Amino acid sequence: MRLKKITLVIILAFLTACAAPLATYHDTEMDFGSVQTVAVMPFANLTGHTRVEDRVRDVFMNMLLATASIYVIPPGEVARGISRVQVVDSTSPSAEEIQKLGVALSADAVITGVVREYGEVRSGTAASNVISIGLQMMEVQTGRVIWSGSTTKGGINLKDRLLGGGGQPMNDITEEAVLDLIHQLFNS
Amino acid sequence: MISSISFLTARSASLLAVLLLLCGCGAALENRQDMAAGEKTGLPLVAVFPVQNLCGNPAPLAEIRETLISLLQQQGFAVLDNKTLETFMTAHRVRNVGGIDGPTAQAMKKETGAEATLITSLELYVEQYPPKISLTCRLVTSADPPLIRWIDNVGMTGDESPGLLGLGLISQADALRDKALQTLMASLQQEMRGEQIMPATARKFRPKLTFRSPTLEQEKRKYKIAVLPFFNHSTRKNAGEILVLHFIKELSNLPNFQVVEPGVVFQELLRFRIIMDDGLSMPNAAAIFSDLDVDLILSGKILDYQDAQGPWGSPYVDFSTVMFFNNSREMVWASKSYNTGSDGVFFFDVGRVSTANDVASQMARSVGEMMVN
Repeated sequence: MRLKKITLVIILAFLTACAAPLATYHDTEMDFGSVQTVAVMPFANLTGHTRVEDRVRDVFMNMLLATASIYVIPPGEVARGISRVQVVDSTSPSAEEIQKLGVALSADAVITGVVREYGEVRSGTAASNVISIGLQMMEVQTGRVIWSGSTTKGGINLKDRLLGGGGQPMNDITEEAVLDLIHQLFNS
Repeated sequence: MISSISFLTARSASLLAVLLLLCGCGAALENRQDMAAGEKTGLPLVAVFPVQNLCGNPAPLAEIRETLISLLQQQGFAVLDNKTLETFMTAHRVRNVGGIDGPTAQAMKKETGAEATLITSLELYVEQYPPKISLTCRLVTSADPPLIRWIDNVGMTGDESPGLLGLGLISQADALRDKALQTLMASLQQEMRGEQIMPATARKFRPKLTFRSPTLEQEKRKYKIAVLPFFNHSTRKNAGEILVLHFIKELSNLPNFQVVEPGVVFQELLRFRIIMDDGLSMPNAAAIFSDLDVDLILSGKILDYQDAQGPWGSPYVDFSTVMFFNNSREMVWASKSYNTGSDGVFFFDVGRVSTANDVASQMARSVGEMMVN
């Protein structure tokens, strides 16, 4: 009886580990293989720091290009598209604006993003760097969301509390967070 | 009596006229002497442009220029005199001393006889201890289009090599300035003798993220490349222009690239009234490709360009690059680089890089090498 209970607990633990992250959404009807070219819009910045949206967007565009699976439209071309289509808020375009952007930029999808947290966090005497990002991908035919993902990396862990040290550098955790998002995007 | 007075007046007037003529020809004669000196040594007559100040604070630009001129003359170069250069610059309304465009370079050769122009940009100048200086110098031919004959940069701090008992410390800004300028001129002399050696790049300065299109891999040839100003999102003034100079220097020293003189690129941007909003758009790229007849356009964004404050701290540089290819009219290269001067340093400051100039230079060299290899 006891052995049965232990087995059940172990199975439950495994099942929990295998659960898909709740932060990710994939449109099951979408053929992601057809997305060859994407336009990454300027990210929204909800942090108190300036220019972090540019830093994160820069890393995201480079990492997405580095996968060699998708062509990312250069930022200057995206800026021209935004100007031509007269997007009111480039960080959160409407469905109609996305459709127009798709035509103007010859893109298959548009990615928008938001940087929720960026920088140092403190808890008692411990300090560490943290980043929190959320992204969405919209297809240009209809302007609907086909993928959404978010991630948080860094922060204060037990080691930081016990030994201090200040955590990882900001660039490292930004790359880690962006890599996590790219994994979420490709592992549908 | 009357006749003797009139005779004296006529004589004085003739003497005055001759003296005036001689004064007028003074500059030209001086110039001719310099040219003759240059012809003797086989080195060209050089026009030394006023120093471009990119450091954002007052600096002894005139002294730097004077030292450069005297070092050039010591090497046997003939230097165009100040008056002729000033007259030329006024006549041609040359305001940008950080570059030279084709028509101006051609007129320089025709009107002054100068076969090359020395363009110097001061990137950093700190007089407080430890003094710091960073400079980039290049020699551009007086032709249309002008070609970069030699380019080098130097970044030094007074405390970078303390040596035994601190004997290697330099506390005077003047002494450091002279040392930096002598290093640059020694490099020019080496180049003239064909002895320029490319230093090896440390692995730690390689870009952290890269994308390289297969289109570029198929093409193995010498590329003509234009480097556009980088977008400066850092707190450092003129960091965009400074990084362009680093890329020009490193790409010029690689055998796979022929770099367009930045003065020519600047002129084209003005001519087409290209205002880049967050980067280069494809129509703008197409205009530059066709007009400059280049294979590649390199641009990018600079997020951090910091030198160490005082004797502590470490320089930090963070930038990303994008490159467009004329054949495919698409982005063929993208990279992201960030480094500090203390990367990979564990014991006794061995391997520490003391200026952002040196860090950026090595990072740019790595990017250039990875673009083609």
